[in-house]
Amino acid sequence: MKRLGLALGAFALGTMAFCLVPAVAVAQDKLVVSVWGGSWRDMVAEIIGSKFTAATGVPVEYVTGGTIDRLNKEKLAKGNPESDITFTTSHVGWLYANDGLYEPLDLGKVPNAKNLVEQAKISPYHVGTWAYVYTIGYRSDLVKGVPFASWEELWGPAVKGKLAAPDFDPSHLITVAAILSGGDAASWEKGQAKLKALKPSFKAFYTNDANSQQLIASGETPVQVILSMNAHFMVSEGVPVTLAVPKEGAVLGIDTIAIMKGSKKADLAYKFINLTLDPQVQAEVAKFKKGSPVVLNAKVDAAVANLPGVFTTAEQWNKQAIIIDHKLRAEKTAEWRKWFTENIMN
Amino acid sequence: MNQRPFLRSLVSPAALCAVSFAAALAAVMQYSLRAYVPGSLEAGGFTLANFVALVKPLYAWVFLETVWICWLTAFFTLIVGYPLAYALVHVRHAALKAAILVITVTPLFLGEVVRTYSWIVVLGNNGFVNTMLLKAGLIDAPVQLMFTRLGVVIALVHVTLPIMVIMLAAALSHIDRDFERAAASLGAGPIRAFLTVTLPLSAPGIIAGVTTAFAWTFSAFATPQLIGGGRVNMIANLVYQLGFASFNFPFAASLSIAGLVLTFAILALMRVAARPLERLGPH
Repeated sequence: MKRLGLALGAFALGTMAFCLVPAVAVAQDKLVVSVWGGSWRDMVAEIIGSKFTAATGVPVEYVTGGTIDRLNKEKLAKGNPESDITFTTSHVGWLYANDGLYEPLDLGKVPNAKNLVEQAKISPYHVGTWAYVYTIGYRSDLVKGVPFASWEELWGPAVKGKLAAPDFDPSHLITVAAILSGGDAASWEKGQAKLKALKPSFKAFYTNDANSQQLIASGETPVQVILSMNAHFMVSEGVPVTLAVPKEGAVLGIDTIAIMKGSKKADLAYKFINLTLDPQVQAEVAKFKKGSPVVLNAKVDAAVANLPGVFTTAEQWNKQAIIIDHKLRAEKTAEWRKWFTENIMN
Repeated sequence: MNQRPFLRSLVSPAALCAVSFAAALAAVMQYSLRAYVPGSLEAGGFTLANFVALVKPLYAWVFLETVWICWLTAFFTLIVGYPLAYALVHVRHAALKAAILVITVTPLFLGEVVRTYSWIVVLGNNGFVNTMLLKAGLIDAPVQLMFTRLGVVIALVHVTLPIMVIMLAAALSHIDRDFERAAASLGAGPIRAFLTVTLPLSAPGIIAGVTTAFAWTFSAFATPQLIGGGRVNMIANLVYQLGFASFNFPFAASLSIAGLVLTFAILALMRVAARPLERLGPH
């Protein structure tokens, strides 16, 4: 009986060990790419991964998960990374970099990087791969007579009790309120009173893309601070969403790519990054997600290029994008989040 | 001679699980006592600042709101679940019994997120409930159910119902029906027999069901997150909002520890309060 007990214990330990080991084992003959799941993984696999395998003969394996899950896993695996390449949002990339999880990038090994827009050169460790904006999206059939030519209009009576914003990231509204109050992201405190005055406009806070889409599709929150890609997707689904780019600009978001420190496939990883920045690949990504390419020589489909929040020229990048310094955002996110929760959401 | 020899063989895996859980809890505890370093994944040195930061009316309010929502959920789950459990135990028709069981237990087989998204469709301004009420002429404008405490409680009752029904059915099935027959033979009608015999004898099941529903609801996350829409927050939502969404793991850990302590305290209080009721059960 004692032997049976020990056997059960050994089995449990063995199972745990088995769960922890395979990621290391499979990393020997493949390029392992860490990316979000769902359509993001599909896009990377179909548009980039397949071309990479065709060109190099090396298969690509995808490790998928949420932003924070993947960050935590790589932190635990520091020095022996689970993946060779990581896609993540620009300011989260700074958390990886600050903790020594990224390899410094040698852009000399990435020929296509010469066409990168300046705004996509995030740090010595990570560069942009595609961009989007958070801006005002609204149901034109439910909210009439408000063109949202300025962010100021969110404070107007027509929006009272109709607005939703992401509960996971208040940086967009915090920065906008600061700008409207004569400050910027670094001096965000200037916008605190302005943001408090926005409280009557809020009806809810959405928790993810699906939640955002459902709330605007049902008309439950007909005005949102919304991810441009989500708004364009809803339009393609027949929901009458209008995306506005106010005169102050729309808040830019950039997803980035980096090589993990300790990767034994650095050469292949550089080839993957170069392919990601290939103008043809960038045009396909822009079409798939209706986002902005990060190289200026991408030939983006005219229908996509004309969408609000899609930037294809240096002038658009310079004039229409509100850029929150990515490193500052990484450092301030917790403070902003706490203030927003304590003063706006509750 | 050992009456349950198989128990010994389970000691090793049980000990392994216990050690794993204790280690995880210890990790959360040590995080709660470390400083948050902006822009870094690493926690700083020892500090009590995370617990000091909890002493704010906002957090007290969310803790109270959590307790209140748990109580409401446990109460209404009991009200809805008791008749179902009673029918489950006493219905003789096998097909009807199976139908009650399937309807009751089905929510357990759906993911919490799926269930919650379904409730968004039901409770929305253009959802099933408002559409029916509007068509019936009972209301002139949609009733706001989403992003309200009422909406959150309705969805949580649905989530908790299977647990309550299973626990109540187990208690009711152990009550000897001869007690009810004896009450009837002494002149008690069905309602009086139920109120004076069956209901008191099922008290242990009620206590177990309410306690479990309360504890089950205390850790609710997806339902208040999606139905509450940031306007109705429970402790788990606060942990998510302040900790994980902003990488401030030390503060999230301190909130988690405070929530855990509160849960234990309330369950202990409930245990003390329920003692007189337990004596009503079968001996």
